[in-house]
Amino acid sequence: MRVIIGYGSSIRGEDAFGLDVIKELQNSPLKETKLISAHQLTPEMVLELQDADEIVFIDSCHDEKNPYALACSLREQSTLNLSHHISPKTIIYMLKNLYAKNPHFYIYSMMSSNFESTTHNKRYKEAIRVVSEHLLHSFK
Amino acid sequence: MENRKIIIDPVTRIEGHAKITIDLDENGKVEDAKIHVTQYRGFEKFCEGRIYTEMPAITARTCGICPVSHVIASTKAIDEILCITPPQAGINIRKIINLAQIVQSHALNFFHLSSPDFIYGFDAPKEDRNIFKMMQTHPQMARDGINLRAFGQKIIEELAGKRIHPTGIVAGGVEHKIEQSQKEAILSQIPDMMKIAQGELEFFKTNLHKFQKEIDAFATFPSLFMALSNEERTLEHYDGELCFMDSEGNILKDKIRAQDYREFIGEAVEEDSYLKSPYYKPLGYENGMYRVGALARLNIAQSCGTPLADEELKKFKTLGGGKPVLNSFYYHYARLIEIIYAIEKIEELLNDDETMSENVKVTSKISNLRGVGCSEAPRGTLFHDYQVTKEGIITAVNLIIATGNNNLAMNAGVKQTAIAFVDSKSITDGALNRVEAVIRCFDPCLSCSTHALGIVSSKIEVRDHNKKVIQVIDRN
Repeated sequence: MRVIIGYGSSIRGEDAFGLDVIKELQNSPLKETKLISAHQLTPEMVLELQDADEIVFIDSCHDEKNPYALACSLREQSTLNLSHHISPKTIIYMLKNLYAKNPHFYIYSMMSSNFESTTHNKRYKEAIRVVSEHLLHSFK
Repeated sequence: MENRKIIIDPVTRIEGHAKITIDLDENGKVEDAKIHVTQYRGFEKFCEGRIYTEMPAITARTCGICPVSHVIASTKAIDEILCITPPQAGINIRKIINLAQIVQSHALNFFHLSSPDFIYGFDAPKEDRNIFKMMQTHPQMARDGINLRAFGQKIIEELAGKRIHPTGIVAGGVEHKIEQSQKEAILSQIPDMMKIAQGELEFFKTNLHKFQKEIDAFATFPSLFMALSNEERTLEHYDGELCFMDSEGNILKDKIRAQDYREFIGEAVEEDSYLKSPYYKPLGYENGMYRVGALARLNIAQSCGTPLADEELKKFKTLGGGKPVLNSFYYHYARLIEIIYAIEKIEELLNDDETMSENVKVTSKISNLRGVGCSEAPRGTLFHDYQVTKEGIITAVNLIIATGNNNLAMNAGVKQTAIAFVDSKSITDGALNRVEAVIRCFDPCLSCSTHALGIVSSKIEVRDHNKKVIQVIDRN
């Protein structure tokens, strides 16, 4: 099974990128794929991911220099801090160490300098389209 | 020797951002220590001008851990503005959601934030004092923590719509009744969750003897305690009125209605922190220092009202020898008892026929121009105080957050711990970890508690290393 998780805040401008990609995918013919929208990644989410062979994380990543660039961000807030908000790497670490699961995982991040509103609606929508189509093409 | 200052920035394994300063005197001894909350939010100001119906959704955004508490306090304030009492089913469902949050929030503190200290000790290398090491050496404990949190979060999601920033708790009650299938799904998990909760309490009690130095020095001092309390003095998180108890166990004042809190609680502002410092007004600033949260609730409650939690409460109360337990290290102990209580109470409420009623909400129009909602959040007593126009526009907001209530005690605890463990000739990582750990006892949620536009001091004093004022900037 494959799980695609889009996460971010729906009321914080371009931070909603992951959620909007999930909305775009909801009516798509993806097989054996579970779609999850979440405000943030939390420790107990691993229980929903135990059966996944593949996990795709989609989020928005703060970057002043390259807005709307699509990349893979592995930036960690802190490796020693774990509270209610954790990173994709931590989720994978938990799956591996606590549940002996080792899924393939991918991270799609859209760089954004604006978590208050959408700066360029056209470029934002284009980024959603590109990621959605890439996922559809990869997993059809 | 010049005065020296040690700064721990950021403080780790807490919610939010803070720093601690420790001032040393000329002989290198700890002279003072403080926690500075460095976040600024501004909720009280930007809520002004909004329509009152938006308040639960807006104020829930104060926090990602305890949004349920904010929604409950907010809707209780609006209930008062509308002059309505929700149907019993609506109240019971609110209570279940609030207890579910207590389970998940307390589990987060114990398993994810504090347990590395209990497992490896406060002097363990800092690389080992974290959840990742715990997952390697104590995987079952880590899984237990995940399961307990998932239990609480799932209840919130099922009954209130979303795990974070739920929308199902509304003025007048809740949006949806409980379905039979939801009730059965929750009840089916109770035995496993209780087993986990009891197991972890046993682990904690078995290991307590290793931490006598910390028990003695982590914010262990006389103070007042405040919590919601009911007629029977059973453990309370939703109903009841405010109660203040002193360190000898005497009730200073009880049956304080939430809307009268300003007569008894003052809010001081310190120049070096965005976190306000509430105090018990009749005793004045600082002398009126009080503690809230699980320790205060268990000190004030004479019983829990549920069998398994009551057994544990009896043992807990022996720690104080018939008087309130004054050691803040035992906040951890109190939270574990509250998890047991919350699981029992959720079961009890779900089995109450009234909870399953179709009638979960009432509506009305504005009757009062002020409403105060008060509830027990995981970290302590929470107040939402709104004033509105007759058209429903918010004109003033005052929020007193659980963590803020503990500010004076946290500061006193940081100083006490620094004096006990920090030696300027050899400042160890273990000593600094303890200074942070005393804050974790209170499980502060600093994101929550810095909701306010602080009162800007009209004067800024610039002091040299001897604390001599060398410049005064007058903002007026």
